[in-house]
Amino acid sequence: MTAEGESSGRQAFSEEEGLDLEEKCNEVLVRDIMITDPITIKGEAPIEKIFDLFNKEHFHTYPVVDENGDLLGIIDQNTILQLLLTRRVSRLDHTHLMAVRSLSQSARGIMIPHPITITSDTTLCEIAETMIKHKVEHFCVVDEKKLVGIVCKSDVIQAIYSSRG
Amino acid sequence: MMEFLFQILVILLVARLLSEVSERVGMPGILGEILAGLLLGLLIVEETETIASVAELGAIFLLFTAGYKEVHIEDLKASSKKAIVATFFQIAAAFIAGFALGRFFGFDFVESLFLAVAFSPTSIGVVVKTLLDMGYLSSKPGSMMLTSAIFDDIIGIFLLSIVVTVGKYNAFPTATQFMLLLGKLVFFVGIMVILGYRVFPYIFNYVQKMHSKESIFAAVVLIALFSAYFAEIMELDAVIGAFIGGVMLSNVAVAKINDIQSKVSGLAYGILVPIFFAHIGMAVELEALNTLGSFTILVVVLALLGKLIGGFVGARAIGFDSYESFIFGSGVMPRAGVELVVISIGRDMGIIGEEIFSAVVLMVVVSIIISPIVLKFAIQKDKHKNSSAPAS
Repeated sequence: MTAEGESSGRQAFSEEEGLDLEEKCNEVLVRDIMITDPITIKGEAPIEKIFDLFNKEHFHTYPVVDENGDLLGIIDQNTILQLLLTRRVSRLDHTHLMAVRSLSQSARGIMIPHPITITSDTTLCEIAETMIKHKVEHFCVVDEKKLVGIVCKSDVIQAIYSSRG
Repeated sequence: MMEFLFQILVILLVARLLSEVSERVGMPGILGEILAGLLLGLLIVEETETIASVAELGAIFLLFTAGYKEVHIEDLKASSKKAIVATFFQIAAAFIAGFALGRFFGFDFVESLFLAVAFSPTSIGVVVKTLLDMGYLSSKPGSMMLTSAIFDDIIGIFLLSIVVTVGKYNAFPTATQFMLLLGKLVFFVGIMVILGYRVFPYIFNYVQKMHSKESIFAAVVLIALFSAYFAEIMELDAVIGAFIGGVMLSNVAVAKINDIQSKVSGLAYGILVPIFFAHIGMAVELEALNTLGSFTILVVVLALLGKLIGGFVGARAIGFDSYESFIFGSGVMPRAGVELVVISIGRDMGIIGEEIFSAVVLMVVVSIIISPIVLKFAIQKDKHKNSSAPAS
């Protein structure tokens, strides 16, 4: 009984507030909350430079772009960790693709091509839903092939939190 | 039903346990899975139609994930012409060795052709760890092996589709039949390319917004099944369709979200593929190996030598020295997934008998054990040559 009382006391907000929040989230667009000048990696960037970047900065993922700013792919911490400790990767993943990747000398060779993207007019509600449903941690925001920003889970949480007012 | 549950439980349990044992002693898990099937076949579990169907799903998902996770169309485009030459030699030598062996032992044309196709592909995954451990992945023969392996799956699938058709006609196809096969294959691939580039992205765009649970995962599995079924309708084999379906999905971003990839991999490598490999082990007849002792030995020896010599000659042809060519040849020796799929199809079609089936399974097992050892030896020879070269 006490536990029940405590848990209802801890409830973040009522159902009504929840609906209200959803409405507010539907009005917020990705372009309002995304990081507009993310650190990017050029397609031809050498591997050592990329390791260096991951060492200095602490983002989970970096977009890879070509000279026109078009998105080519992404490089994330998992890829870097796999490359640094290739021998520790499970045997099942010892495919030629992994091997080819571990031999590559540039960003293009190691990146994950075709990352999941969204356009800047997607609503906050939509990306939050995709993040919850499909366990996506971040999105590259692309308008007409060009990378215009990046948005990750913490940005979404912050935006929703501040929408509560 | 209870019997089915018990069988699946026992097969999966033993396969997973022996797979772990195999990994612990430094061998690929597939070895333990085949061994599990062999033991269970000898001891308790009877091969039933239901188990065979689950195993067939395993073969479909084995090749689907190979296309979905491992093939990148860009890699193929980037692969050099030199790799094609070396690949051609190693595949041709193994193919000819297999065909000649079959004919020599009095097997008919189609049976010999199945043996030849089972000799042809390479499973590079078996030796990647050795290359890594020896620091030779980035060597000239190492990277050539990888490029060659990219072509291997594709060529293996192409050969399989020819041999399946030949099997259906039970003779070498006439020019018209061959054109018909080629036409069907081209039509199938054409439709799949259109679906891959035009339709699948739209479907997934819609699917990711669906409210039902696991919609993307379900859509990926449905496409695997659809591609397999569509190939069957076109009188190609289900596994060929599954592989091409996988390749077509490999560029669809939503279908390749990490979470989805790991679920597909879990379904395939966690459940279905081990059952397929165990089922292969269960189907091995030890008596068949005994009755044709010299044939079995020659299957093992020629399959390995075919690749070793073919690879050696191919690598020499593109300018590698003898040591490097030896490394390349030994690196393309291992067989695993695709070749087992080939013989299991041949067996299901009633084309190949127990002798060929059991001998090829033994060949696969031996190749998995032997290849890393031969490769290590070849690399040590090369290292020795390099270290003594400056002194001389």
